[in-house]
Amino acid sequence: MKYTKKDLGSFNLHLINTDKFKTVTTKIIFHTPIKKEDITKRNILSDILLQSSKNYPSKRDLIIKSEDLYAADIYNNNERAGNYILTSFILQVLNDKYTEEDNLEEALDFLSEILFNPDINNNSFNEEKLSLVKNNCKVSLSSIKEDPVNYAQIRLNEAYDKNSPVSYRMTGYEEDLDKINTKNLYKYYENMINNDYVDIFVVGQIDENKITDIIKKKFKFRKIKKQKSEYEIDIKKVRSRRLFAKETIEASQSKLVIACPVGKMTKDEKNYALTLANIIFGGSVDSKLFKIVREKHSLCYVIFSSLSKLDNLITIKAGIDKENYLKTVDVITEILDQMKKGKFSEKDVNMAKEIYISSINNIEEKPLYLINEYFSEEITKLDNYQERVAKIKKVTKKDIIKALKKIKMDTIFLLEGDTK
Amino acid sequence: MKEIELTSLDIKLYTETLDNGLDVYLIPYDNKNNYFMTYATKFGSDVLKFDYEKEEYTPPLGIAHFLEHKMFETESGIDPFTFFSESGTDGNAMTTYDNTKYICSGTKNFEENLNFLIDFVNEPYFTDENVEKEKGIIAEELKMYDDIPDYKMEMRLRENVYINHSRKYDIGGSVEEIYTITKEDLYKCYNSFYTPNNMFILILGNMDVEKTIEMIKNKTKKLKSKELPKIIKQEEPARVSKKEDTFYDSIEIPKVAIGIKIPKSKLKLKSVELDLYLNMFTNIVFGSSSEFRERVRSEKLLNDIYTEWEDTNDFKTFYLFATTTSPSELIEEIKYELDNKQVSTKAFERIKKVWIANEVKIVDNIERMESNIYDDIIKYNKVIDNRIELIRKMEFKKLTKLLVDIDLSNISILKVLSKEKSD
Repeated sequence: MKYTKKDLGSFNLHLINTDKFKTVTTKIIFHTPIKKEDITKRNILSDILLQSSKNYPSKRDLIIKSEDLYAADIYNNNERAGNYILTSFILQVLNDKYTEEDNLEEALDFLSEILFNPDINNNSFNEEKLSLVKNNCKVSLSSIKEDPVNYAQIRLNEAYDKNSPVSYRMTGYEEDLDKINTKNLYKYYENMINNDYVDIFVVGQIDENKITDIIKKKFKFRKIKKQKSEYEIDIKKVRSRRLFAKETIEASQSKLVIACPVGKMTKDEKNYALTLANIIFGGSVDSKLFKIVREKHSLCYVIFSSLSKLDNLITIKAGIDKENYLKTVDVITEILDQMKKGKFSEKDVNMAKEIYISSINNIEEKPLYLINEYFSEEITKLDNYQERVAKIKKVTKKDIIKALKKIKMDTIFLLEGDTK
Repeated sequence: MKEIELTSLDIKLYTETLDNGLDVYLIPYDNKNNYFMTYATKFGSDVLKFDYEKEEYTPPLGIAHFLEHKMFETESGIDPFTFFSESGTDGNAMTTYDNTKYICSGTKNFEENLNFLIDFVNEPYFTDENVEKEKGIIAEELKMYDDIPDYKMEMRLRENVYINHSRKYDIGGSVEEIYTITKEDLYKCYNSFYTPNNMFILILGNMDVEKTIEMIKNKTKKLKSKELPKIIKQEEPARVSKKEDTFYDSIEIPKVAIGIKIPKSKLKLKSVELDLYLNMFTNIVFGSSSEFRERVRSEKLLNDIYTEWEDTNDFKTFYLFATTTSPSELIEEIKYELDNKQVSTKAFERIKKVWIANEVKIVDNIERMESNIYDDIIKYNKVIDNRIELIRKMEFKKLTKLLVDIDLSNISILKVLSKEKSD
């Protein structure tokens, strides 16, 4: 496997050449500092681009074209990474040796058509298509509570810090949706194409020179790169008393979610000691949360914690019976306190290291893992993944206790299920 | 051991049935760090009643799933999750209608993990305490599913499609039923269905084939094959239980669910071929590049759609689930498609091309490959080693012939409407 990064002026091209895959995967990432009022527009924009284009006037035409390219997959994704919003377009297509010559080039041409030749007239998107996409968005906004885990997470984030990007709803907002029209959406499209930072990744068995030429020819961006602002969210001041918040919905189960901000620490401390601390605490099926809250007390089926390094936040999630709410909070509090006092073994530490190393060993097995890895290394200032294996091995129990002491339970949200 | 080339996929399958009846399937990859191993029994929630020591025995609903949870108890006290985590390996298990699988995937300690996987599935350890302790956990699992509107919709539709069949029940049973489960129930089921002749091992990924088969033989040589008990089934009538139904749930956007129960006996095509042609039909008519989709999308009648075929001994059941703001109009559109069964050679050829490409693509993804091979073993009792060839050879006239023979009138339609809006 060989990784090359090329600075092409208006964007970075990352080539990962490997014979592991029968496919070639291309991911174009547009990134820009996140603004709450732009999230909805961005969702609508990335969806409408996949509805039609100048040469393919309907969604069915687009799908038939991708099917003709030997089932090329084309899809989009919007996510937040710290202070930024990332909008990605992903193309996955079989390597030419399983299809026919120039199928990949034709597929890239098709992706370029979707991005650079949208269904525009008079500097406006197609009215009908916009109304369709808006309607779909409205439907998903109105059914937001039907995914209670996700909804509990949203409500927790809002209670945690309503001014931070952490609290922004990536599903968008109804009031912003109403403001979108065919003209201002086109303006926003131009703005994204011309002003966003762009990274393009290509993974597979590729001819690097040929791919570079094709990409240069088909993806012309104008952005002149400037110094970027930080991806990482500022460390939040912890409340002096824990905040309890609650909402009741009709459901059999209640969702308990807890936000634990991470205090100031060095990059290495966060990337290594804290990462291991989280695995031991709630990041695996052998974690303290799983073993004690689920297996010992039978309080839940699902419980885990996850660490967002860019948000400086650990989130705990569990599905419980509402009768056990306070008991569960007490047990979790006790587990964290005990861990801060060093109540975990060297065996736990080694296990967490093995889990970490195993996830690194898996990076090369999937094209999107590889892309995610190289992109994260840049935005979270991570060491290269081979170096990380060496560094993680050196972390001691003492380092982990030190990191744990900087975690506080801050906001506790219960999405209470009531069967009426 | 038999060596079989999976045509056009550049990989080989090694397979052997051991003396005790255990089937072993190995698919080595020479360019991967990771492996995925599965130890499975063809026992799931479909078994509602069977002969145990010459008497009819009806275990509580949800027993297969409960048993799966409890297999993670060991007499030595070594927790399988812990054992696997020590080498950074993921362990897990799943129960469905016709099988239960125990899996482990990782990059290290192949031998130790394989040995351990075989051991813990072969050595049950149930006590009154550990059975009792699981009830709260499984109750929360059932409640979690009970809060998912799509899940509830599917359960409701199943009740409307089937009359006596096991597929009308939740795989996990119900909170009331699982609270009656005892360790004796678990042992009865374990001893009857966790026998080598009802089980198989499937491994994909980085491995030494010769060494692996030797290890498995060694590890399982003390297991004895055993005659499977007689499973008692109630006859399932051909008609659906309820043709039309409306259900109110705490949702905002209505949903539509359709089930069509088709007796297999009336269809000439069999097995894999039948599945390919049935899928071809619904793919042309309801798939992402169908005219139906374009039409209902542009008329704003559809927000989301999902279709699948279910296979039981006597029936093929087609399911369609959709989210829509106009349920009645959408149902009319779907009925229109089912009545007309319009297919074109152009779409037929395009979908063949897509399927062949997808077969090749999936090979890269070891988890998806495992899932496809696993499904073959469950459905056909063998791995389909020439699927691409079968797809290539599909003929349009066979499809049209099938559409003449097939009877889609045995249909159950369910509307799910918003509880609040109806108040």
